[in-house]
Amino acid sequence: MVPPPFAADWARVNPLFCRFNEGKWKIATMADKSKIGVKLPPYVLKVERVKIRELMGAIGDDNPIYLDKSKAEAEGYPDTPCPPTYITMAFQEFTGAYLEIFKMLDVPLEHVLHGEEEYGYNAEIFPGDVLHCQLSCESIIEKKTKSGSLDLITLQTIFTNQKDQTVLKARSLIIERL
Amino acid sequence: MAVYVNFSHMQVGDMLPTVEKDPVTKTQLVRYAGASGDFNPLHTDDAVAQKAGLKGVIAQGPLIMGFVGQAITHWVSKRDLKRFQVRFKGMTFPGDIISVSATITKKVPEGENLRILCHTEAKDQKGALKLTGQFEVLYPVDIS
Repeated sequence: MVPPPFAADWARVNPLFCRFNEGKWKIATMADKSKIGVKLPPYVLKVERVKIRELMGAIGDDNPIYLDKSKAEAEGYPDTPCPPTYITMAFQEFTGAYLEIFKMLDVPLEHVLHGEEEYGYNAEIFPGDVLHCQLSCESIIEKKTKSGSLDLITLQTIFTNQKDQTVLKARSLIIERL
Repeated sequence: MAVYVNFSHMQVGDMLPTVEKDPVTKTQLVRYAGASGDFNPLHTDDAVAQKAGLKGVIAQGPLIMGFVGQAITHWVSKRDLKRFQVRFKGMTFPGDIISVSATITKKVPEGENLRILCHTEAKDQKGALKLTGQFEVLYPVDIS
């Protein structure tokens, strides 16, 4: 007989301290602070014109500099630059980056809230660019509130293009509620 | 060519012209899910949202950030935008009409440019806050 896992014993004592994650009981702890500095293996995002159009269509933004190369050239760009929030798609299902980092940090998705998002722009991103993406966990800060404690997890991603130029730095503040 | 805000003639405390969006639609949330890769069913499936205790699907936070991004590069040239940060404050539902406003909070000369900091907010038709944020612009002063 397989002995019950440690966390399952805790679940019998107080189910509030435990959570069921990926088929296993785990003791409910906040994100592990030793994981500050943890990095995802670098991944690649190809910038595709059709995805820019799709994003612009969804937002309802018809700004021609993002859609029409001749309009962008008239404003002095070599091609249509990416809109300010294009990079949002670098973290979700197309790359799996958020899922991977939450797994590494042992943070269950259903406890996660997206608190803040910040983009620092160093250079333009154009269709055809191949972005090298480096995501790391910058900090984990525990915060006590009236309703319990929260972990404030800051993720940082540095985007470098095929010319080895850092084009953008993104920072996401993720709130983990216990 | 687009006509952008002329910061040379504006002061700290001045507001940029508010941008009002069309009402958010469920179709838009589905399109944004596909465009962004955020396939959390909370944004596209009313039954899932209701199970989570909501009256129905809610918009993706980054969609509202996208609205603000649209407003910003309506006000300023993309190449002059240096930083953009938002804090998500409230849920947006289909039918909500989002307005994006911005106020100049800092204007500092930097070489031949002006470094401009603006506070921005997105609110619905009832005035409920969806997000607050700030953005930084390096504005080239036209000396001609």
